[in-house]
Amino acid sequence: MNDTPDTEPTRILIIDDEASFTRMVKLNMQNAGNYVVETLNESLQARMVAKQFKPHIILLDVVMPEADGGDVATTLRESEQTKNIPIIFVSAMVSRKESHRGLYRSGGEYFLAKPVSSDLLVDAIHQVLNA
Amino acid sequence: MLESTPTLRHNSRYNLVLLSPDPAEEAVLNHHLQPTEEFSCTLRCIETLEQLKQFEIQSLCDAVLLDIRIEKPLAEEAIQYLSRQKGSVALLCLCQNHTQLRQFREVMHSVDDYILAEFLPEGELSTRIAHSIRRCRKEYELLSEQNLLKELLDNIPDAIYFKNTNSQFIKVNTAMARIYDHSGPEEILGKSDFDLFTHEHAQRAYDDEQEIIKTGKPLIGIIEKETMPDGTFKWVTTTKMPLKDNMGTIIGTMGISRSVTELKNAQEALARETALLKTIIEHALAGIYVKDREGRYLVINERHANNLGAKTSKECVGKTLRDFYSPEDADRAMRFDEEIMQTNKGLENMVDQRTLPNGEKTWLLTSKVPFSDDKGNCIGLVGISQDITLQKKNELQLKSTIQTLEETKLQLIEAEKLKTVGRLAAGVAHEVKNPLSVVLLGVDFLLSQGELDPDITSMLTDMRNAALKANEVVFELLDYSSPHEVSLVPANINETIEHVLTLMRHNLRKAHVTLIDERSQELPKVYIDASKIDQVFINLILNAISVMPKGGELIVKTYTKRMNATGANVSSEMTEHFRIGDTIVVVEILDTGTGIDDNHQNKVFDPFFSTKTTGEGTGLGLSVTRSIVDMHRGMITLENRENQVGACARILFPTADKA
Repeated sequence: MNDTPDTEPTRILIIDDEASFTRMVKLNMQNAGNYVVETLNESLQARMVAKQFKPHIILLDVVMPEADGGDVATTLRESEQTKNIPIIFVSAMVSRKESHRGLYRSGGEYFLAKPVSSDLLVDAIHQVLNA
Repeated sequence: MLESTPTLRHNSRYNLVLLSPDPAEEAVLNHHLQPTEEFSCTLRCIETLEQLKQFEIQSLCDAVLLDIRIEKPLAEEAIQYLSRQKGSVALLCLCQNHTQLRQFREVMHSVDDYILAEFLPEGELSTRIAHSIRRCRKEYELLSEQNLLKELLDNIPDAIYFKNTNSQFIKVNTAMARIYDHSGPEEILGKSDFDLFTHEHAQRAYDDEQEIIKTGKPLIGIIEKETMPDGTFKWVTTTKMPLKDNMGTIIGTMGISRSVTELKNAQEALARETALLKTIIEHALAGIYVKDREGRYLVINERHANNLGAKTSKECVGKTLRDFYSPEDADRAMRFDEEIMQTNKGLENMVDQRTLPNGEKTWLLTSKVPFSDDKGNCIGLVGISQDITLQKKNELQLKSTIQTLEETKLQLIEAEKLKTVGRLAAGVAHEVKNPLSVVLLGVDFLLSQGELDPDITSMLTDMRNAALKANEVVFELLDYSSPHEVSLVPANINETIEHVLTLMRHNLRKAHVTLIDERSQELPKVYIDASKIDQVFINLILNAISVMPKGGELIVKTYTKRMNATGANVSSEMTEHFRIGDTIVVVEILDTGTGIDDNHQNKVFDPFFSTKTTGEGTGLGLSVTRSIVDMHRGMITLENRENQVGACARILFPTADKA
């Protein structure tokens, strides 16, 4: 679905306090296929940006200053406009076993372990959106 | 005073001395002193007083006839001298007539008789002399008797008194006056006990005396407490008897009292001391006892009776330790006693354990000293023993508590270390993984940029591998600090090992390590958390591979074993985990590498200990491994192989039926 430029590109919002990381993800995703990536490094603005950008999916860091991933997810799910946007938590705080599985679910949430490769990201997004 | 009683001659032959300056008088007197049946004598004439003074008169004669028909002063001097010296010797004066005699009125009382030369009928002289001698002797005897009595009364320290029928003193001795604070015996005469003592005492004495007067029965050796009017008192032992006259009629009482106040006080003091000692012994908070030379209890208080397991002290007297303790305990204690008595040296604060007949074990804290008779021979010992069983138990409990605390402290320190490492690891994971993500995504991006120079492709691949290796290190840290929880299920450890060996097959082949599988096919199940225990075997196998850079053999062994009595390899740690008789499952992973340096033996499980060069290992692998084994209530050792190069990692698991 993402391989042809004429179809609507998949909009991805990536929220992470590390600008270099969001930049890298954006570059890779845009390189990988028909994706429009919006990056956000200040988690407090997540809801506002999400409402404007209307992403198909959000990649959300867990450990961040100000509001952490959990807070952000809660905020997003409180709003009618954003509550149905799927979220993949991207975390550095996972064990070896989990990291080897690629995308995994825990407590009803999707998780991806850092560091992620571009292939893994594409795979994960594809899985979640087609779930 | 009479030093010696002269020998009195009782025959009728008298030795007479005539003191007269006139030699003719001897003949005159001899004429008058013709021997008769009753009387015979020898007469010796001495002319002067000076001559007479050469002799001791009493041994010289029975009577002296002093011729005073001489100068009056001379005569008087002679009378005075002789009256002083004569003793039992009769002194008769020979004078001319009454007229002359009257001149000697003043001194005549010192003379026993006189003879008038002018009126001297036939036979008169011998009769007068014999009579005087007899009377003098009698008087002298009486005087001696009286003197004896006087000496007794004046000098004896006991109070002696004589009372009339009204109990008034008619005679008392010097001591009595002194004892009752009177200057002389005469002061007391006429008084009664009512004047000396309190009414109560006096009345009782009076009643006693009236009873004696009535019945004639004496009171002998009674102990009396005499209370003085000023409140002080004396203890006396008194004998009271009836006083009789010549006719045997009771005319009063007489008595003798001896002060026994000091004796009585000493007795009372002794009684008080004895009572005090008894109280101390009976109520002391320790067992007190006295044993004789043979170890028999002479004195024992109830507390010590209880120490011996007896109920009362009475039942212990006369018995020895053998009646209370096991023969071994009794003999041991009695050997100590014997040593004390032989060496005459006590012992202090000996702690001794004894076993009572009911099997109960008690601890005693004992001090003993020997005691000896007057001659210094040891005749027994005195001991004091305190039951310190409770203190001893508390002490043991305290020791064990302290040990537990000590262990807990170490565990807490260890836990705290782990927490610190955990926090560090989490921080590191977060801080490192983000940059790693950037690097990896960067490399991915670059690699996806179409045709690249092969050098660049190779460089990018190296970068990617380096980043992944860094990521691996972070995982090890996370593993080490991950929550220590396991969910144990019974499983066959062989299956877990099988799984791991499959995973590791590639690594082994690459390192030219040959696998030798010596697993027992019949193993009981053990409780394991398969997801955790994998890590243990992976770590151990990776370690084994790393110590055989040129290849070698990896031996994997499993077997069961029954814990038997502690052998050389059984550490205290092991006995903490397993009990003798338990069946345990053992997994051994042996390599043919260089083995473990002696200096490193104790450190191999310490976090961050590694022999690998920096970059090759974190030093956490074995530490994590041991943590996991601990969670399985197992035990891991890493030692050099016996009689062969290489190391042996041995893991012991309790079997599922026990854990």
